[in-house]
Amino acid sequence: MQMNRRVPVAVLVFCFALTLAGVGMYAELKKGQYQAATLGQFPQTSPSESLPDSQYGGKAYPLYAPELVAGEGKAEVEGYCSMCHSARYITMQPPLPAAAWETEVAKMKKTFGATIPDEVTSKIVRYLQAHYTPETRKQ
Amino acid sequence: MAQEPASSGAIETFTGPGANPRWNSVGPYVTEPQKAPLLLLTDRPVQLETPRHYFSTAFTPNDAFYVRWHLDGIPNNVDLKEWRLQIEGNVAKPQAFSLPELMRKFKAVSIAAVNQCSGNSRSRLQPRVAGGQWGNGAMGNAMWTGVRLRELLDAAGVKTGSVEVQFQGLETGSGPKGMASSSFLKSLDLANPVLDECVVAYLMNGEPLPMLNGFPVRLIVPGYFATYWMKCLSWIRVLDTTDENFWMKPGYRIPDTPKGNTTPDDVKAGKVNMVPIAKMPVRSFLASPDGSSKIPAGMTVTLRGIAFSGYGRVTRVEISDDGGKSWSAAKLGEDYGAYSFRTWEAAWTPKSPGKHTVAVRATDEKGNTQPDAPVWNPGGYLWNRIEKQELVAGIAG
Repeated sequence: MQMNRRVPVAVLVFCFALTLAGVGMYAELKKGQYQAATLGQFPQTSPSESLPDSQYGGKAYPLYAPELVAGEGKAEVEGYCSMCHSARYITMQPPLPAAAWETEVAKMKKTFGATIPDEVTSKIVRYLQAHYTPETRKQ
Repeated sequence: MAQEPASSGAIETFTGPGANPRWNSVGPYVTEPQKAPLLLLTDRPVQLETPRHYFSTAFTPNDAFYVRWHLDGIPNNVDLKEWRLQIEGNVAKPQAFSLPELMRKFKAVSIAAVNQCSGNSRSRLQPRVAGGQWGNGAMGNAMWTGVRLRELLDAAGVKTGSVEVQFQGLETGSGPKGMASSSFLKSLDLANPVLDECVVAYLMNGEPLPMLNGFPVRLIVPGYFATYWMKCLSWIRVLDTTDENFWMKPGYRIPDTPKGNTTPDDVKAGKVNMVPIAKMPVRSFLASPDGSSKIPAGMTVTLRGIAFSGYGRVTRVEISDDGGKSWSAAKLGEDYGAYSFRTWEAAWTPKSPGKHTVAVRATDEKGNTQPDAPVWNPGGYLWNRIEKQELVAGIAG
């Protein structure tokens, strides 16, 4: 019986010593650090309710409009380019050389039939070149 | 010790003029009807990319399947009381099938097939080209169930002298009639053997297709790039001439050169003959590990991913961690058919602390192997360079 009591005490002392050593060993261990987060959180969408009729789908698609750089020609870009597509088509592109933007706008008119008056066309091209080329793009 | 920043910093909002260094495109996560959070390319029309972690399984969930539309008039809904699949043009007996008729009158067939956007990985090209700036996630694999295109064509009776079959869905655009911005049309040669494998699918992984993936039926063209896989397919039109609408010419064309490769100078000089894009070259991808976890040196981890080819079954997937000097075979997962994703996995051990680069390459049954060379063409198509992932190993103890 006596032996049985003495052994656990010895174990406890040993464990305490280990813990002390552990504090030294884990001096680099960081705990309990948190920081306010600004990303990675958006509400869940509510499940859609279906009726037992012949209609399938029906929800509007959400617009996630990007902020175009402020500057001369922005209103024209938003007005004319948005006839067929969102301005995301501009901000999605990599910075394109000035000549490539001229080609793109020409393609929108010639191939896709965008009805953009000539004087507005040059304004749109100048805006894109002023903000979305390798030399000019900031955001 | 200074506090390290929380891991909530945003990545860059655009890449370029260099290549996009990330696996996926760099847009934000967004939610769209019937969809899990996916990566936004554009919102009108909708283009969404599937995040990397979905590519460790053979089948891509419907709600995570990437989305690519061309024109802003995407159907929001379909009334199945009104909807019909029309088979018209140069046929003896034009047909109009309701969905119940398609399901009842024709034998249902299923095929596992990869749907990959022609411009998948476009953001890798140097110099960069304009267009959807996809990372690697403009692809997915599903079990498609529906009716054979051949049976529908036979029911209508293709007349002699017919040349092509044109497909049109419910998608329309705001542009002037007859222009590329008013309708999206794709055609295949009637002599193309792929027509025998085409399926008009009303089920995707055993469920109705999400609206954004082409409800109620979509054309499945096994082995071919997704440009031909018409969503919300509603008109099958037999033509007695070659279709030269924008989406066939000059749209979706590749150089008639080995691997579809060319240079901006040759294009400018008018030296390049362009032909319609068709089959998908062999590709393989590492889904995980993705580099977000540091690996203790000496620990054996499992590399996982998928591989596919439009030219036939993937027969070999190999791994290299010495810059391609030596390759070792990965274990292939279940075979769901020649046109499906094939999963693969391989054990890998970083022997010492430091930066390691793991490369993966696939070979198909025709002997096509992925090159360690870039491709460039003006449309930004056919990228299939060997994928590489940097993995950091730390001191294990």
